[in-house]
Amino acid sequence: MLAAHLLVGALLFALGLVGFVTRRNLIIIFLCTEMMFQGIILNLVAFGRYPLEGPPTFDGQVFSLFLIAVAAAEAALGLALVVLLYRHRGTLDAGAWTTLRDE
Amino acid sequence: MPILLILMLVLGAVGLFLALPGGRADLSRLGLLVLAIGAALLVAGLTQQLAGEPGQALFAGCSLVALLAALRVVTHRKPVYSALYFVLLVVAVSILLVRMQAEFVFGALLIVYAGAILVTYLFVIMLAQQARPAPYDTRSREPLWGCLAGFVLLTQVAAYVYRRPASEQAAVLPRVGGDAILNVATPLLTHYVVGLEIVGVLLLAALVGAIAIARRPAATADEGED
Amino acid sequence: MTAATSILPAGLYATLPLWPLFGALLVGLWIALRVKPERAHWPVVLGVLVSAALAVTLFFDLQRQYAAAPETHAGGFVYSVYNWISLGQPASLEHNQWLAVNFYFDGLTGVMLLFVTVVSLMVVLYAVGYMRDHHGHPERGYERFFAFLGVFVFSMITLVLAGNFVLLYLGWELVGLCSYLLIGFYYGKPAAAAAAKKAFIVNRIGDFGFALGIFSLYWFLRPYVQPGENPLDYAVVFKYAQHLATAQIGGMSQATLVSLLLFCGAIGKSAQFPLHVWLPDAMEGPTPVSALIHAATMVTAGVYMVARCTPIFGLSPLALDVVLAVGMVGAVLTATMAMAQYDLKRILAYSTISQLAFMFVGLGCGVPDSAVFHVFTHAWFKALLFLGAGSVMHAMGGIIDARKFSGLRHVLPQTYAVMWVGCLALAGFPLLAGFWSKDEIVHAAFERHAAVGIIMLATAGLTAYYTFRMFFLCFHGPLRLPAEAGEHPHESTTMIRPLWVLAGGAVLAGYLGVSFGGPASESFLAIFRPHGLIHDFLHHSTIGHPEHGHGGLWLLYLSAGVALAGIALAWLRYGAAPVADPDARALGGLWRLWHAKYFVDEVYDALFVRPLRALGRLFFNTDNYGVDGVIWLVTAVPRGLGFALHYLQRGALQAYALSMVIGLVAILVLWSWWT
Repeated sequence: MLAAHLLVGALLFALGLVGFVTRRNLIIIFLCTEMMFQGIILNLVAFGRYPLEGPPTFDGQVFSLFLIAVAAAEAALGLALVVLLYRHRGTLDAGAWTTLRDE
Repeated sequence: MPILLILMLVLGAVGLFLALPGGRADLSRLGLLVLAIGAALLVAGLTQQLAGEPGQALFAGCSLVALLAALRVVTHRKPVYSALYFVLLVVAVSILLVRMQAEFVFGALLIVYAGAILVTYLFVIMLAQQARPAPYDTRSREPLWGCLAGFVLLTQVAAYVYRRPASEQAAVLPRVGGDAILNVATPLLTHYVVGLEIVGVLLLAALVGAIAIARRPAATADEGED
Repeated sequence: MTAATSILPAGLYATLPLWPLFGALLVGLWIALRVKPERAHWPVVLGVLVSAALAVTLFFDLQRQYAAAPETHAGGFVYSVYNWISLGQPASLEHNQWLAVNFYFDGLTGVMLLFVTVVSLMVVLYAVGYMRDHHGHPERGYERFFAFLGVFVFSMITLVLAGNFVLLYLGWELVGLCSYLLIGFYYGKPAAAAAAKKAFIVNRIGDFGFALGIFSLYWFLRPYVQPGENPLDYAVVFKYAQHLATAQIGGMSQATLVSLLLFCGAIGKSAQFPLHVWLPDAMEGPTPVSALIHAATMVTAGVYMVARCTPIFGLSPLALDVVLAVGMVGAVLTATMAMAQYDLKRILAYSTISQLAFMFVGLGCGVPDSAVFHVFTHAWFKALLFLGAGSVMHAMGGIIDARKFSGLRHVLPQTYAVMWVGCLALAGFPLLAGFWSKDEIVHAAFERHAAVGIIMLATAGLTAYYTFRMFFLCFHGPLRLPAEAGEHPHESTTMIRPLWVLAGGAVLAGYLGVSFGGPASESFLAIFRPHGLIHDFLHHSTIGHPEHGHGGLWLLYLSAGVALAGIALAWLRYGAAPVADPDARALGGLWRLWHAKYFVDEVYDALFVRPLRALGRLFFNTDNYGVDGVIWLVTAVPRGLGFALHYLQRGALQAYALSMVIGLVAILVLWSWWT
């Protein structure tokens, strides 16, 4: 049943979004983006498994694999940046980095 | 779109608003309780729709675990717990994938996420370990607006998903034949081979970038500041 | 139209304009290569020399051809160099119409080229000495000066040789450009820069009419021309000119309209009233330039053009009357202005305008050959006078005001001698160049109407008077020198030599226009009959055979007497070079009016310059405050918006993320409502 899986994926995505917007810890923010990926992967696979017409396809799974790879790359770069920022300010607070504001 | 669903989403939104760090502890507990009830009701409702399919219980269990784990990831005040709950979330999601006969993705997700990425997260969390809960972990930013935006987004998506009556959607899950790995590998290595190569290059670039960023001493990084 | 008997091949004559241009380009190369300026004049001198030699050869060549076949009226030949502009292929014509670069060799060009090149040569030679300081070092811009001179001569020769109206216009404008460059040679001096601009702009006014004249000529003649004929070619224009006399446009004949428009150009270029104001100011340029403008190039172009277009002007009595009226008014006005000036070069400038006005009177009276004859003689003595004035100026350290010095005959004996010749020639002293040509014009004026003749005769008297007023003020009386002249003012030999050549021309040039062999018994002057070689020569051109009445001997005596009377009066009043001007006291208000040049400049200032400037200021303010203000207001909107929104730029990552999410949600909500 497509709708049930889509809704679970959407819930995961929305929760990740809320966490991304509201949490202040840089690591949690990143975790939340990974959570949004989880929701999307679930959706993609569900789309492939429950096609609206025709037999099931595997393109959704292929996209999921790509997504996992992109997530891995993103995690590597993002965490490297987090480490750098932490070394810089000694804090993981996203609010510590507002130097791009217009005075 | 069922009224019940909206009600549950409202419950979820209120609960999330209460459970997010920053409020009083007892209210937070209350929020978690509301969330748990809402999630359970929701999953029960969703499972109903799967009537006639095998693995109903599996779906119900895994969905509930995934949702609750996700809630704890978002609401927990200690990053380590958030990360561990995230592992739980990944496991639950991957079991959901197995239920949809995506065995290869299941394996990849477990190995890459639960294995590789989360371990890296834990390393970083340990690296930035604070003696006491940091102030930025105990307060959240704009919880009201965030919850409201997430809630409205969800209602919109749900409204779109349930635009058509559930009966119209293909209810019977046909069994997919063939080799699970071959099924994924064939399109991946034929139709999407260019994308695969590009992803390989992307990973390489990320590797080089991560090394370049992490190797930079703090002193030179200071220059970019102010 | 045959060149069979010519001494030199026609193609060689066609190179006539090119030599000074080559010289000028060579000087330009000279500047680019940073060669020392000491000898930068040589290319131009040689270029003009070759042109002069060719022009003299051409003159005698043409004369030989005319002597061989006197009955051929048209004479001369056309040399087409190459097809220049395609005029397209009108439906009515089979062949493509081509505007060619073609040169028109006939009597008129022969006469014009003779003095244009020779006088230019003298001026260039003179400038070699003039454009140096007291130690003989070249002035700053020496090379530039000679390059411009070369181009100037090139432009004038092109103008004279042009075989169609477009090429004529090209030369016309080039001459204007060169005059602008040369008048503004001392561009660091505000007065010189202003004078250059004034000359150029006033010329533009006339040129506007001139261009319209050419356009209308093309428009009117196009229906008549045969296939392959170009309606702007001289030969074609004069062939079909008769049609213009009958066709009407706007209540006048087409010939009248074309003539009047063309005459506008002549008024501007030849500095006739009311566009005469640029010429006196043009004295700000170096003196050789003044000489060149006044004698050989530039101002004579107007007279040349009207003479060349005699077949058109002759068709319109009205146009001829206008030419006559403009000439008469200009002659009297500028002669009186010249009587009340002290600046040597300005007096000469006004006398030039006055003499040019004489020529236009001649043109208006229907004797273009006499007018061209006067151009011819005038070139010699006016160049001489200007260069003499330049010699004075050079010796006086740049001072040219006749009140500041007197008795210069003691220090500048050679200049004094040549100036005697020049002044006598200008005054119309018997047997000198000016006498013959001026007399012909006065005679034609009497033929036209007695009143015109009397006015011209009186103006001739005024000419003699003011010329010698200037002469006596400078050279006679006690020796007085300005401080700028230094201890020992002297004249330069390089500068004097060309003056003697020109003095020879001032004495002898008139005899090319008279023939000998009257009844000698009657009187001395009677052996000279007007209409000599030059006239015969000119008749072999577009001028044709104008009707000359019998030249009365009484007029010769009368004009000689008037000239002598003018000189004598000047001697009586100014012979001792008095410091206090006797005329200023005797004539009072009239003199002041003349001294102020009839307030023409002031009137123009009030009528045109000030309103235009006010208009310009209005436009400027409209642009600066009106248009720019609107633009400022328009830009103020995004600027204000940006200022208001910059408070949102707090740099907080999650605030941005939240606003993005809210935007996404808003779009989703709107979209779901829409569908």
